[in-house]
Amino acid sequence: MSPVVRLLVKRLSISIIVLIGVSMLIFTIARVIPGDPARIALGPNATVEQVDQLREKLHLNEPIWVQYGYFIRDFSRGDLGISLYTNRPVTTDIAQFLPATLELVIVAGVFMIGFGIPLGIASARYRGKTADNVIRVISLLGVSAPSFVWAVILMLLFAFFLPLFPIAGQISDTLTVPPRITGFLLVDTLLAGDIPAFLSAVHHIILPAFALALSGIGQAARLTRSNMVETYDKPYIEMAQSYGFPARRIANRYAFRPSLIPSLTIIGLDFAAMLGNAFLVEAVYAWPGLSRYGVQVILRKDLNAIVGTVLVISATFLIVNIIVDLLIAYINPRIRLAERGRP
Amino acid sequence: MSDYLLDIRDLKLAFKNYAGLVEVLHGISLNIRRGEKVALVGESGSGKSVTARIILGLLQELSSARISGSVHFEGQDLEALALRTRLALRGTKISMIFQDPTSSLNPVYTIGVQFNEVLKRGNPGILERDAGTRAVSLLQDVSIPEPERVLASYPFQLSGGMNQRVMIAMALANEPSLLIADEPGTALDVTVQAQTLHLMRDLVERRGTSVLFISHNLGVVREFADRVYVIYKGRLVEHGETSELFHRPRHPYTRALMAAVPRITGGGIPEIAENSSGFTEPLIDHEVSP
Amino acid sequence: MRRTFSILLSNPLSVIGLILVGTVVFSALFADFIAPFPSHRGAVVDFSNFNQPPHWPNIFGTDLVGRDVFSRILYAYRISLMLGVVVLAIAVPIGVTVGLAAGYLGGWADFILMRLTDVFLSIPPLVLAMSVMGVLEPTLTNGMLAVTTMWWPWYARLVYNVTRSEAQEGYVLAAEIIGASRWHIMFREILPNCVPSIVTKMTLDLGFVILIASSLSFLGLGVQAPTPDLGSMVAEGGNYLPDSWWLTVFPSLAILIAVFGFNLLGDALRQILGSDQ
Repeated sequence: MSPVVRLLVKRLSISIIVLIGVSMLIFTIARVIPGDPARIALGPNATVEQVDQLREKLHLNEPIWVQYGYFIRDFSRGDLGISLYTNRPVTTDIAQFLPATLELVIVAGVFMIGFGIPLGIASARYRGKTADNVIRVISLLGVSAPSFVWAVILMLLFAFFLPLFPIAGQISDTLTVPPRITGFLLVDTLLAGDIPAFLSAVHHIILPAFALALSGIGQAARLTRSNMVETYDKPYIEMAQSYGFPARRIANRYAFRPSLIPSLTIIGLDFAAMLGNAFLVEAVYAWPGLSRYGVQVILRKDLNAIVGTVLVISATFLIVNIIVDLLIAYINPRIRLAERGRP
Repeated sequence: MSDYLLDIRDLKLAFKNYAGLVEVLHGISLNIRRGEKVALVGESGSGKSVTARIILGLLQELSSARISGSVHFEGQDLEALALRTRLALRGTKISMIFQDPTSSLNPVYTIGVQFNEVLKRGNPGILERDAGTRAVSLLQDVSIPEPERVLASYPFQLSGGMNQRVMIAMALANEPSLLIADEPGTALDVTVQAQTLHLMRDLVERRGTSVLFISHNLGVVREFADRVYVIYKGRLVEHGETSELFHRPRHPYTRALMAAVPRITGGGIPEIAENSSGFTEPLIDHEVSP
Repeated sequence: MRRTFSILLSNPLSVIGLILVGTVVFSALFADFIAPFPSHRGAVVDFSNFNQPPHWPNIFGTDLVGRDVFSRILYAYRISLMLGVVVLAIAVPIGVTVGLAAGYLGGWADFILMRLTDVFLSIPPLVLAMSVMGVLEPTLTNGMLAVTTMWWPWYARLVYNVTRSEAQEGYVLAAEIIGASRWHIMFREILPNCVPSIVTKMTLDLGFVILIASSLSFLGLGVQAPTPDLGSMVAEGGNYLPDSWWLTVFPSLAILIAVFGFNLLGDALRQILGSDQ
């Protein structure tokens, strides 16, 4: 077994343990609700019999570990129960709303890496100079406001004041939405060959994705800078300088790659944190993702939906972290070649 | 015009910090002829490593460094050269090898990749395949048994001695006229260090490369150098041909340094009493045969 | 301490941070005296002067029921800061104890405590706080509880890492040899070495707690009306963009300024205390 496969197996098994832990934690949180979820779901006009029936159906009269047992049984069949809010299977609801959220998060992740890392590299290369100070202040500003503040400010500036981008939604109202295949609008419009719809979708996603990415951009720039500044003190950088390689090449090639290894883990965590922050941005831009659903089910104490939503988000989070670990193993020969020894 | 390959005159260096200017070099003059191996000897902190870095132009990039004096290389005043021209000398005409071979090679690229880049410095148009064969023959020159395997390895997969040979091969790859060796191999154990130094001496003698050899280890210097400069706290205190200087050391500091040589191990920094009054006496210049 | 202070004052960015934090703390403490309309922090209605753009004496304008936005921001700072202090006062001791125990005791304590920490860390912070908030009544106390739940694991991680490396140090070994108790070694020997990292993180975190708490209330899961809160002010005003821009812009900037100030200060402390991780 190659070291990378071994690493993958190890990470996957730890993730499964953690996911079971998450399910227990969130299950416990959801079950300590004050008040009767069945009563809340059915409303004040429901009869006592109706409420009792629902309690029976949800196994609410059983002890909590028995309830958890039922939950695990259903979960292993891919069943997260029925949402009391939409009266549909939770899996159906999540499948409907998750792609839009993921699409937003992925585009924001691309912005985060595409802007944050080059800014960090430039900052490290010009460390101590004006460019460095400007970039540092900007990145610190980026991490200093929650995503909804950036969402509101960007909307005011670039949708109202300078009407460059649309105010809300995922695609222009005048266009017909292509058939849903993957749920990712950017992909579906391309699959349908509908270029105007694709461009409209791109136009709509830029502002919210950027608002979501801003703190990540700041974080990635800060991290890249500090790790690179540390790398600049290493003997191999001086050796590269002694060979007269141009400063840009030394920054981009000799200093960047070794310092990417410690940055990546945290960048992965930040990427995953955007899954949570997406809720804030979606609320501002009326983005049809998981946010409205998530907030509604939480406000209505919709047990199955809360547990399901949190589990799916945590699973996504863990998957992102596994991908990051594999990336690190790919970049860092020490891990990749750990067990193989000399070639 | 001097016939020296490298001619340093009255080199001064100061660093600016909160307290003001701190002078590190107080006016150093030294020279190296073509094919000559010259050693600069002193304790750590005496200013020998910064001298090497000024020759390469590495310190000039620090905004806190204040440098005066002149450095002529092949008759050209390096300070007068455009930055581009000066950068072009590095890795081609002048190259340097460092103290700790393993940490001086980039950890995330294979030796082959790094070798390739060095060869491209000397010959930007070199074909990948030709660079490969050239690297193999250069590694054979430094007695590396399986060059192909070494080229496919990362520095952490090789021993320190092996990395040291790789670094020497890289430094000589573009046939520089001056090689600066900053405490080469101090991080290695003594026998390995001795082996690689012999190897390096044979190579530079065969190619006629001049060497500026920086060390605190007199035993090694005696084996390697034709001529020696002794530096103490940013001032040269004694200069002469190796045999002359070792047989008749005249400056109090040189004498103290020699008395302190740990002869058995040959490594480690000799312990010398601080600030003995005679150490600051002016430079003693032995007659040097032309 | 004096040295720390003089270094702090030599860097213009740290000085700005100090000024921003000072202003925020000052306005929170003395809101009663600074606010032009102290009564507007509650459920006051003034329909003769509602939804007005900035003008004297309402320099940040008035909200939809005629309350002074500036006064409400000052009182919102007070609540945000209090929330931040309380959350850290609970989360830090919990996290520190867990991290110390896991890092020093090792073995099963390490495995169980750190896997537990991992579980908390693998739910995106905001989502965890949202779910806790969702099952509880939206009150200030519960808001603190929700944010604390997501905060302690970060301190457990931090202290765990420091403890793991400190436990190898000679002074710990020396203490073990003379027969010091585990309790003594953890809290008297190792903990003081974690203090610089903890203090730095706490300064930065005061800003981030404000940030997360405002996010919760922005989603309607935090402090409820009529208590003034920066997040809910932005959420309410968001419906009236762009015409009533002052309803969102000023509370948004208020959040930015506070968090930015704590970040500048935390960064400066990090450099001075040398706790760059």
